Formats: sequence, structure tokens, C-alpha cells
Amino acid sequence: MASILNKIKISWINGRIKSHQTKHDFNSSFLPIRTSYLESIKANKLKILDLKYKNQLLPFEIKAGIKSDFVQKEFDEAKQEIEDKFSWKERAAKQALIRNNAQDTGELENLKIEKNNILASIKDKFYLETPLKTDVEAYESNKKIINEAYHLKVQKIEEKFSSKLAAFVTKINISIESHQIALKLLKTSLSKVEVNVKKEVFDEDIVLKIDNLSMYFGGLKAVDKLSFEVKEGEVFGLIGPNGAGKTTVFNCITRFYKPSDGDIYFKNNLNEIVHLNDIAVHNVIKEGIVRTFQNVEMIWELNIIDNLLVAAHTMYRSGFFGHLFNSRLLRQEEIVMRKKAEKILLDLDLLQYGYQYPLGLPYGILKKIELARTLMINPKLIILDEPAAGLNDAETTGLADTIKKIQKDYQATIFLVEHDMGLVMDICDTVCAISFGQKLAIGTPKEIQSSKVVQEAYLGGE
Amino acid sequence: MLYKNEMYKERKAKIQAIKNHPYFGFVILTLLMLVVQLLRVVGVDVPITILRAFGLTMIYIIIALGFSILLGYAGLASLGTAGFVGIGTYIVGYFTKNLEVSIFLIILITIVGAIVIGTIVGFISLRIEGMYLAIITLGLSEILNEVFKNAVNITNGTNGLGINGLVLFKNIINIDHNTIFVILAVFMFAIMILTLNIMKSPTGRALLAMRNSSSAAQAMGVSIFKYRLLAFITSSVYAFLGGVFYMSYVSFTIPTSWSLAFSLNILAAVIVGGAQSIYGIVLGTFMIFGLNLAVFQQIPLFIENPAISVVFNGVLIIVVIMFYPGGLIRLVNTISFKLKAKIRIWKQRRREYKYGVDSE
Repeated sequence: MASILNKIKISWINGRIKSHQTKHDFNSSFLPIRTSYLESIKANKLKILDLKYKNQLLPFEIKAGIKSDFVQKEFDEAKQEIEDKFSWKERAAKQALIRNNAQDTGELENLKIEKNNILASIKDKFYLETPLKTDVEAYESNKKIINEAYHLKVQKIEEKFSSKLAAFVTKINISIESHQIALKLLKTSLSKVEVNVKKEVFDEDIVLKIDNLSMYFGGLKAVDKLSFEVKEGEVFGLIGPNGAGKTTVFNCITRFYKPSDGDIYFKNNLNEIVHLNDIAVHNVIKEGIVRTFQNVEMIWELNIIDNLLVAAHTMYRSGFFGHLFNSRLLRQEEIVMRKKAEKILLDLDLLQYGYQYPLGLPYGILKKIELARTLMINPKLIILDEPAAGLNDAETTGLADTIKKIQKDYQATIFLVEHDMGLVMDICDTVCAISFGQKLAIGTPKEIQSSKVVQEAYLGGE
Repeated sequence: MLYKNEMYKERKAKIQAIKNHPYFGFVILTLLMLVVQLLRVVGVDVPITILRAFGLTMIYIIIALGFSILLGYAGLASLGTAGFVGIGTYIVGYFTKNLEVSIFLIILITIVGAIVIGTIVGFISLRIEGMYLAIITLGLSEILNEVFKNAVNITNGTNGLGINGLVLFKNIINIDHNTIFVILAVFMFAIMILTLNIMKSPTGRALLAMRNSSSAAQAMGVSIFKYRLLAFITSSVYAFLGGVFYMSYVSFTIPTSWSLAFSLNILAAVIVGGAQSIYGIVLGTFMIFGLNLAVFQQIPLFIENPAISVVFNGVLIIVVIMFYPGGLIRLVNTISFKLKAKIRIWKQRRREYKYGVDSE
């Protein structure tokens, strides 16, 4: 009785930890996005205000004959505009001559004279040689007034934005801190409760443990008492001839099949050991296991970024009504997730496809996009179903590099089922060979290559 | 000059932002509807049939939007729409005529009823897919139709059920058609926005994932159970609300309106327009219902032989499915794209005529 209560307590605490963790992660990734957005708006406003102030001051400056930078800029701008206008006029006149097969009767020359006249008049307008004394005085007094108003406005904008930013930052920081405190408290209470509960035997560095797994289809034993362990952070390859039961093992781990017998244990993101047999198919991803498909399964109506966002489905906190009314939380979450998706695509050199639709993209790219999709949920274990199937040699090497990169940069364990021996020997740290549902050998790629049993299974015995 | 240019750029960007806002088109559409009504208020003699056609089309747009979430997003085919809309109309009829319940309460009741019915059908859809689901929902709709015909105490049987007005707070008030038309337009606008929100949200993406491949959707954490149920509940809420609006606008309901033909027409509207686009659905509904109500019923040939409009619908569906599987909206998009390209070329030519070819 007490043990059941304790188990319920543990699962409740773990749920709380998860929710605090997601909120904490969301807040800490939303903070820089929001801050930079506010700052860019502020910069834009200040720029416009600056222009406005200078524009107000301009007539006084001109009258007082002051050659400031802004006057120079305005003059250049006005000159440029007139020159552009006249160059078009010239072109039109030339074209008209060509069109009508007529001779030039001085129109072009007239245009040039007109342009020069206007330019000269503009120069006179902008640069007065002999300013009046009263104008200089007026400039001085007006500059003071306008400058004051400008500084007041700048101060106002600065104050407004800094208070906005400060309010936002303190709010987010408080919530981040509160989540951290809650996490700490929950973890200590968890360790107190966990003392009373017997733990399953599980080595420190193991992520996935398959124990006596059996799967029968009618009379056929697809998998027969298979056991192996996957270490944390490695690339684990499962190989075997056709019909060896590789895909069945794969589907048992991802819960698409219910195994006839045996247990699968998994250490999830919270270092909690989960009995995978008890978990529904669509909840496997919440534990940190994510899979790809042998034939790429894209959502063809959505672009690549949206395809990535589908994989982040379980990370959204907003519910159906939030989606229905496009709530503020949803909008913030969408921004955060989009940034994350763009970052992942950038990491894997796929950003140029971000806003394209998957239909028509090369197969190798789609495979890579599927890999990128797995990274959206910060996975602990990525399961790849024949990643090299249907790829040419160059694409396969590219894929191998990508897998290595993912293993290194995202600290994910990778479990793959593969036919392409080149790829397996190239990237795997441990290889397990199976045949007719039973384990033949397990070890480093070299050991497997030299193993007699494996050679027999692949090439046939005597 | 610099300041002026900067302000001009700023203003242009603002206008562009408003134009590109996803709700902009809905506002225009609603305003167009209201203009039709306004013309009559001002004194222009808009025929009542045209006005009625627009009002009914707006109701059908609401129903078709619900159906598009089911068909275009969740990928579930249902032929039970007519039955659901029928229930909506009878709920309004019965509660208003016999019990004099306020319309606001009736809307709440219909939403609860829609959730119950949607859940039941959703559970059925977990076991059955594709054509068989369509047949089962069709059966359900026909059962409902028989109930409408035979439960004489509630539905007044085949004579049809009429109401004299709606109960706002206490007594039955006869609200004139013009007011209801305006309310309808506002509701259509709101429902379009809500539908767009669903379509663009994680929920819409999850539904699309489910439609593309249920195993991939499950691997990405989409619960098939939850989202099938959600799709059915949403679409039945839309259908029930459509029934409520229909009864408020027309004030009369009869079982023969809610037969298979109505379900098929809604299906046709969604497919002809384009199942995944709101503008497509508006276009499709106008093609299937609006054209018939507003145009064909004015022409003597069609009045004498009402079957011709059915033939027209049939031909339209065949042509669209054969040549434009994405719906007419895709055709419209293609045409507008090509037109824009043509205009660009035309502008270029004009420029070359006037200024000559660019030398750089």
C-alpha cells in the first residue's frame, strides 16, 4: 500500500518537475527574443525622432549659413533627386528621337541647361553666402528650444522602453527563479521519497535496456528473447539479414507493436527510469524518444519550418482554446519554436529550404530534414529506421556526417537499424547483429566484422 | 527631404502590413455582405431574393467551414452534416415555440448537444475509416431525418416547424430580417477568424499530420484519439450553430431540407472551392448555393426545370475534380499569378518603349 502511494507521489512530483522545466526553458529562451525585439523598435523610433529634430532645425541652419553634416546630406539628396529626374527625361527624349527617326534639334542641350540652372538655384538655396545677423541669432535661440524638446522626447522614449523592458525582465527572471526553486524543492522531496522505493537495477551510463524481448506473430517468432543495452551518448547499430526482426524490435521500442513478452526500460530526460511497456504510442516522444521513418513521412501541405514545428507538438503548453483564440501564450510559443527550428536548420545547413514545401525536394534533403525534425524536442534517444535507404553514396556520406554532428552537438544517443554496412561500420560505436530474432553478437564494428557467426548468418553456412 | 522619405517608407510599410494581415480579406468580405444590406436600407431596390440568397449563403459558409476542418484537415469524410444542421434548427424551433427559452440559452444548449453528438460520432470514427465512415454518418443522418418526420410532438412532422420570432429575454420578439442579416455577417466574420486560427495553430498542423500519415503523427506525439474527437466535435458545433442561424433567419424548418442532398451539396461546396482554404470554401459555397439561389432562380428556364441547377453542380464537380484537384481557389491563384506576371511584362515593355532598354 505504502509503496503504491510512494509511486503515485513520485509520478506526481515528476509531472510537476516536467511542467516547471518546460516553463523555465520557455521563459529563458523567450527573454532574449523579446529583449532584442524591443530594442530594435526603440532604435527605429529614436532614428526617426533624430531625423525629425534635424529636419525641424534645417531651415534655421540654412538661413544662418551653417554648413552642418545634415545640410550637406539634404543637399546631396536633393541633387540626386534632380539628377535622377533629368536622367530619365534625357533617356525619354533620346528614345523619342530614335522612335521618330528624327534629328536632334537641341532638345538634349536644352535639358542639360535646364538641369544646370536648377542645380545652381538649389545650391543657392542651401548655402547662403551672407547670412543676416538676426537669422544667426534666431538659429541660436531656436536650436536651444528644439534641442530641449528633442532631449525631452528621447528621455521619454528611453524611459518608456527601459521601464517596459525592466518590467518584462524582472517578471521573467522572477518566474525563472521561482521555477528553479520549485525544481530544487521537488528534487529534494523526490530523493526523500525514492529512498523508500526499490529501484530497478540499471547501470549509470545506460539509456535503453531491452530485457528478454519476445514478439510472436501467430506461430512465427519474429523476436525471441532478445536482450541488449544501449549506452548513453553512443551510436548503436542494429544489423541483421532480411527478416531478422530488426524492424520489429524497432517498433516495439517506439510502441507501435505491443511485445508478447519481455521488458523495455528507458532512462528519460529527468533520469527517471521508465517502463516503456506501459506507455502509449503518442506519449513515447514525451519521454525523449523520437524516431524517423524508412520512407520519409513529411506533411506535404506544410513548409519545412512548419514540418519541424509539428514535431514540437508536445512542447506547447497552450491548449485548444488558446489555439482557437490565438492567445498571447500561443503567439509567444510560436515565436520561440520558430526561432528554435531556424537554429536547427541553420546548424544542419538546411535553412535555405526553410520556407519551401517538401514536395519536389531531393530525397537526401528530405532525410536530413527528418533528422532535423527529431531535434526539436531535445531528444535523449533518436531512433533511425534505415537512414541510408534510397540514398546514393555522396548523400550517404553527408548523412553520416550529419549523424555524427548530431551526436556531438546535441548529446543525443542514436540507435539505428541499417542495411548499409559501410554506414554502420563508419559511424557506430557498438553494433548488435541479430538473426531470426536472436542475438548473434554484440561489440565494436571490428569485432562484428571478424565474427564468424555473423559472417555465417550473412553469407550462409557450409 | 530625408525625413519625408523616411516617413513615406514608414507609412507604406504600415499599409502593407494591414494589407498582408490574415484577417484583411475577411473584413473586406464581411463589408461586401453588409453593403448589400446597406443598399436596401438606403433605399436602393435590392430584390429580397438576392438578399435572402446572400443570407443563406453566409449560413452555408459557416457549415462548410466546419466541414472543411473535418475533410480538409483531419481527412475524415462525413455525410451526416444535414442531420446535424437539422437538429440545430429543431432545437431552436422546439425551445422557442413550446418553452420560450432565450436564444442565448438555446445557443449554449446546442453547443452542449453538438459536443455530445460529436463525441459519439468521433468514437465511431476511431474504428472505421474512409468510405465506411461516410456510409455510417449517412445512416446516422437518415435516422435523424426519420426522427424529424415521425416525432410529431416535437418536430410537427412533415408539415414543418415554424416560429414567429425569437425570445431574446422574456417574450417572443419578431426580429426583422435586416437585423439578423447584419448579425449573421458579424458571426460569419468571427467564425472565419476562429477557423483560420485553428488552421494555422499547432492543432491544425496536428490534424494535417494525422491526415498525411497516422503513424508519423503518433510518433510526433499527436494522439489520434484526441484529434479525431476534436475534429468531429468542432465540425458538429459549426453544423449545429449553422442550424441555429438558419432557423433564426428563415423561421421555418422541414425534414425534406435535411436529406442527403444537403450533405452532398456541402461536400461539393468544400471540394469545388478547395478544402484547405477559407477563401476557397467561400468561393465554393457561392458556386454551389449562391449561384443557384441568386441567379438561377431568376431565370425562367431554371424555374421551370429545377433539375438543371443540379446538373450544373454535377458538371462543375466533375470538371473541378478532373482538372483542379486542389479546388477552384487554386485556379484563381494560378490565374492571378499569371496575370501579375503579364502585368509585369507589360510594364517592362512600356518602360522600354518610353525610355529604351537598360544599358547596364
